[in-house]
Amino acid sequence: MDFSIRAANQDDCRDIARMLMELSEYENMTDQVKISQKDLEQDGFSTKPFFHGIVAEVPEQHKAKEGHTKIGYALYFYSYSSWVGRVIYMENLYVMPEFRGKGIGKALMSKVAQLGLAADCTQLHFTVLDGNKSSLNFYFSQGCLNLTGKMSYQFMCCEGKALERLAQP
Amino acid sequence: MTGHAYIHTQTLLNKVVFFQELAAFENMADQMKISHKELESDGFCQNPFFGCLVAEVPEEHQSKEGFTVVGYALYFHTYSTWKGRSLYLEDLYVMEEFRGNNVLTVLFAQVAKKKQCVRLQLSVLNWNTSTRDFYAAKGAQDLTEREGWHLIRFDGENLDNLNLSLKKSWFSANSLK
Repeated sequence: MDFSIRAANQDDCRDIARMLMELSEYENMTDQVKISQKDLEQDGFSTKPFFHGIVAEVPEQHKAKEGHTKIGYALYFYSYSSWVGRVIYMENLYVMPEFRGKGIGKALMSKVAQLGLAADCTQLHFTVLDGNKSSLNFYFSQGCLNLTGKMSYQFMCCEGKALERLAQP
Repeated sequence: MTGHAYIHTQTLLNKVVFFQELAAFENMADQMKISHKELESDGFCQNPFFGCLVAEVPEEHQSKEGFTVVGYALYFHTYSTWKGRSLYLEDLYVMEEFRGNNVLTVLFAQVAKKKQCVRLQLSVLNWNTSTRDFYAAKGAQDLTEREGWHLIRFDGENLDNLNLSLKKSWFSANSLK
């Protein structure tokens, strides 16, 4: 099956919003999604975007059952390690179920790696749920290191009331 | 000494010694690969990769080695496709002789105040119980324990191979638009 990968634009936010809801369903976390298509448009496509995106597209003749031609995406941003410098962080990687097993996920991830290397990043980071064995196995097969499993890093988060209290000690 | 540390944005970061101290504390000194030159170019260019706050004490309270900058917090903006604009606290550190004076708490709070972010994330080594307790007391949730999130990294040869596999994969002639 032919597919292509390109940089996301503002018009893609509708499909990205659709697919990120599908991803949250897959992760059983739909109640945690608080942002909308409008937020994505504003935050990803302003003068100083908070993230960047790439989209996987198939030709019309291979469109999804519901008629979509945009069938996968990855969102990423640049982060930093005080030990190694520039890092690229992959926030989301998703391919619609009917298009999996065709190398599209791998191609999206490789594109993120390429973009990171082009920006002088030396590491690619992302998180994955420990219950997502198929994804973990895929990532391990590509040579990644589990910083939580192997190096004991716990991933922490402050939000909501806790964040407000924190800001006023 | 409580209350005499001043927090401000460092305009010229030359505190690689801090990073080395923090790396040594985490038993990962061999993993430090950058120098102050990279910090200067990556943190103080037109589109900086990170922001940094430093804690400074007056001259009369300088450290044994003569430093007045005694702590720092390094952070950058991130994005959560579920919650929106977020911050990641990459490093939070206060020199040993200045701990127990609220400097860490004030640095942490100053980062938390930044720019309408809905979420502040960080990672901490699971054996570092005093630090984990510090963050838990501030209301941080351990997403690894609570939800099973693992932090994954590609670097070196494996990152290069990931990039090369893009060139080998069979997508259409328009794929690199």
